[in-house]
Amino acid sequence: MSSSKRSTIIVEHLRKQQMLEAISQGKRLDGRDLGEMRPFEIELNVIKKADGSARVKLGNSEVVAGIKVETGEPFEGLEDKGALIVSAEVLPTASPYVEPGPPDEETIELARVVDRGIRESEMLDLTKLVLVPGKIVYVIFVDCSIINADGNLFDATSYAAVSALLSSQIPIFEIQGGNVINTGNRQEPPATTIPVSITSIRIGDAVLIDPTAEEEACMDARITITTNSIGNFAAVQKGSTGAFTVEQIKKAADTARIKGEDIRVKLEEVTKKTG
Amino acid sequence: MQEIKRKYVVPGDVVVEGNFRPLMNVVRTGNSIISTRIGIAESGREGVKVIPLSGVYIPRVNDIVIGKIIDHSSLSWEVDVNSCFSAHLPAQDVFGRDFSPARDDMGRFLSIGDLITSRIIAFDRTRDPMLTVQDRDLGKVQGGELLKISATRVPRLIGKRGSMIQTIEQATQTKVLIGQNGIVVVNGRKPDGVLQAIRAIKMVEEEAHTSNLTQRIKSLLNVADPQQTEIIPKPTTPQEIAQDSKNADDVQSTIEEVEEEIIGEVEKGEKL
Amino acid sequence: MTQTKNLIDEEGKRTDGRTIDDLREIKITVGVIRNADGSAFIEFGRNKIIAAVYGPREVHPKHMALPDRCVLKCRYHMSPFSTDTRKNPAPSRREVEISKVMRESLEPALILEDYPRATIDVFVEVLQADGGSRCAGIVAASVALADAGINMRDIVSACAAGKVDDRIVLDVNDTEDKEGSADMPVAYMPHLDQVTLLQLDGILTRDQFNESLDKAIMGCKKVYEIQKQALMQKYFGNETELKEEQ
Repeated sequence: MSSSKRSTIIVEHLRKQQMLEAISQGKRLDGRDLGEMRPFEIELNVIKKADGSARVKLGNSEVVAGIKVETGEPFEGLEDKGALIVSAEVLPTASPYVEPGPPDEETIELARVVDRGIRESEMLDLTKLVLVPGKIVYVIFVDCSIINADGNLFDATSYAAVSALLSSQIPIFEIQGGNVINTGNRQEPPATTIPVSITSIRIGDAVLIDPTAEEEACMDARITITTNSIGNFAAVQKGSTGAFTVEQIKKAADTARIKGEDIRVKLEEVTKKTG
Repeated sequence: MQEIKRKYVVPGDVVVEGNFRPLMNVVRTGNSIISTRIGIAESGREGVKVIPLSGVYIPRVNDIVIGKIIDHSSLSWEVDVNSCFSAHLPAQDVFGRDFSPARDDMGRFLSIGDLITSRIIAFDRTRDPMLTVQDRDLGKVQGGELLKISATRVPRLIGKRGSMIQTIEQATQTKVLIGQNGIVVVNGRKPDGVLQAIRAIKMVEEEAHTSNLTQRIKSLLNVADPQQTEIIPKPTTPQEIAQDSKNADDVQSTIEEVEEEIIGEVEKGEKL
Repeated sequence: MTQTKNLIDEEGKRTDGRTIDDLREIKITVGVIRNADGSAFIEFGRNKIIAAVYGPREVHPKHMALPDRCVLKCRYHMSPFSTDTRKNPAPSRREVEISKVMRESLEPALILEDYPRATIDVFVEVLQADGGSRCAGIVAASVALADAGINMRDIVSACAAGKVDDRIVLDVNDTEDKEGSADMPVAYMPHLDQVTLLQLDGILTRDQFNESLDKAIMGCKKVYEIQKQALMQKYFGNETELKEEQ
């Protein structure tokens, strides 16, 4: 059951006032413009035991994503496709408000929104990841560990997952004599497009992107929009208890295309260098 | 003038061997006095102590703290004082003894998210800290830039008899409110001055363990003649009151001695 | 455990080129998690582990609080991508046990009586696992506790010894752990000269047992120097001595 609850971070009135004042002049408390992302760093192949990995820092939010590839049965109804499973855990290291234990509804939403961006954009051609149709397929696990949380975990986690996938070298399995054999060789994943999500929030009448934890604690509504490489929309998730006007949504969608392209260029650059 | 030996220590380090009195952040094992914290150890005739450089704020009675209202019941506010325990401000402290939850609207005075400057009037091992706002300069914080620094750096930020903070205030034309719990509020008419003050405070926090800090702060703020800031003014703000009163305890006086000894800017041997 | 392969060559070199008395490379960085009260990142061989400390802070739920001392909680957890085959993110029995022995290895160093009614949480996350991840986790956790400014009697160090090709070796790696014949993780407080964790998997003679324990303790002392160095670096930079002025 989902129930509404108070945000765990209580922003001081003083800070909120200053935040609102800054926003009314088109600025943020950390000096950014409303449409400006925080500094963004990617480090690839940080986990040598994984088939692909990335550590992403978006401002002070920090995520490590790892790819593990196995074989298994396909999902029901998707017999001709490899299986893709995205999970996320906000580690208790990440903030004083995280309780260790099974993922709560926010974390499950986070994992599903990241999953949807990758799946619906058809980032991977899953039909190329089938060994025995209907029986044995590649299973790609994308696991994301959030180690420090300072807002916009949707985008930080998504960038970590996507760059880990793009830079991965997945094992080549073959069927020999009815058994699955790991050939010891590796291949690049069948990537077709690069999904990039951009999260916007509304505070009062203003819409701003890449919110910090403090800004999220003051937000009225949130929207995460994922575009693919040719600028089409692939996934959207509106969140939080407030609403957007249609105008605001259309503008956020345009922002997602423009800012998404900047991020995409960076992801491409970084992952090609190591690929 | 007594001889005091100082060194950098981590937990477990032997500060000194022999028959010394353990004063603060040290324990005796056998013939050794051992540090329990990362910090600067001092051993002298009086005893042995360690000035810590990390750690959350532990409440002490009579400390001035800046807290955030995070909740309220029908009889008291719950206040986050950046510590291991949240504190309580009884409604009676604000409304007087004939406070009635039915008649008086607590939200009219303080609501969730408000900041208050307060004094801890009671705290021990068995109960949470109790606050009061009934003193000069206590009460709701009306405005300013909010900063959090490590509580272990507060004595250094205040400096000997408030010398450090006065240097910063005078050079930047700001008023700086300091809670012993590491919450700091900077007010000033000129935004540039406020930014300068914040920069200086952050520098004090980062370089608290180093010597000659006051000099470096002065050069950061372009204070030309160091002699000019030597005036010892009357206590006016809460932190100065805390500073001058007898409850300026071990930590504070120790840090002041560090300032005094290392920087040598005040007459030696003077004690509070 | 029975051993099949040769893990030490004629020149006395191990699978990763070390001699029997060498530690793997260890690097510790203090203060890596911004939101935590104390934290450390350790690379111990191929282990990559984060330790974060929150506290002392209020106990939730409140009735768990102790009137005379602090409650220490500890979680050892492995990220799903940390191991050769993907690990299910739900805590395994192994992780639950390690969390417990890890807590018990740290507790003797902490002066918990100083923080009655409060709690200290220690979270250890293994991002990449190699042999000896519990020891590496303890080493990082201990540094994170010192970084958090918790009152401590000593810093807890940790290191394993083991038996490989019938010889006692220091700091068992992944291959040696899986294919060697004994593994003995030890945690130790160097100033107080006390052992706070001792486990053994495998057969050792009485002499081998003593040799192994002595060797592990020698390793702990070396690891301790690295822990101390990392803390000094964070708090005092490159200064090792306090300069007295004027």
